[in-house]
Amino acid sequence: MSERPGPTGAAPGEHRDERGPVLRKGVGVPTSGWFDPRGRALGGFAFAANRVTGLGLVFYLYLHLGVLSLLLRGEGSWSDFLRIATSWAFLSLDVLLILGILYHGLNGIRVALVGSGIVADRQRALWWSLGVIGTIALVVSASHIYGSR
Amino acid sequence: MATIRTRPEGTARRTSPRPPGGRSWTATTLTGLGLLVLLAIHMVANHFVVRSVGGLRSYHQILEYISNPAIFTIEAIFLLFVTVHAMLGVRGVLLDLDPSPRAQRWIDAALVVLGLGTLAYGYLLIGTLASRA
Repeated sequence: MSERPGPTGAAPGEHRDERGPVLRKGVGVPTSGWFDPRGRALGGFAFAANRVTGLGLVFYLYLHLGVLSLLLRGEGSWSDFLRIATSWAFLSLDVLLILGILYHGLNGIRVALVGSGIVADRQRALWWSLGVIGTIALVVSASHIYGSR
Repeated sequence: MATIRTRPEGTARRTSPRPPGGRSWTATTLTGLGLLVLLAIHMVANHFVVRSVGGLRSYHQILEYISNPAIFTIEAIFLLFVTVHAMLGVRGVLLDLDPSPRAQRWIDAALVVLGLGTLAYGYLLIGTLASRA
């Protein structure tokens, strides 16, 4: 895979050791948008993934409130919902939800630690170590959810 | 060495001004940290405690669960934190689209209304369920 040239025409990372202003793809969000992960470093991918999972979780918040409205209709409506919710496909959506929560939450810890200056120079190490913790938590959660069937 | 005051009292330039969106970042971070604890409790209590498929509670188990004053309080705080965090997150995404100041005021107002509506509905929901137990 060929690397795209930087904003000055130089290869990405070529000026990394030089002093001076940080070279980037322009000020603010690039025209391609934050959701375009092409040509980004790990931080750009992590940011885009954080936004995607965040928006997904906001969508889920309202979906969840909508589903819980069934409780107001009484026991019959909730029992009908449980029959669908305990299907293999629906439980897979639960695992997807946990993936989104784990990524957004653990990446949030990384952003808080880096942004507050507590661990300002260990972004990459944090991302990978929290990634390992998240993967283990996801596997444990998924095995518990599928194992309950 | 004598010094001459060129700036009126109380208008000294700040050497480290707060970055734009600093308060919003702090609020997002604090609610996010709170959510790590509250969401963990919520997920474990609702999916990993009850012995059933997916750990899901039946109708009567939910009524019994939410009528517990401690659980009701935790769920109420959780709803507040998750709503504030979500609204601040959506605001951050929308402000990245570089809206005009007028549009930004509309966004802020709309998110306040949406957030208050979400809280009102959420509290109505858990309050009604707790009262049925």
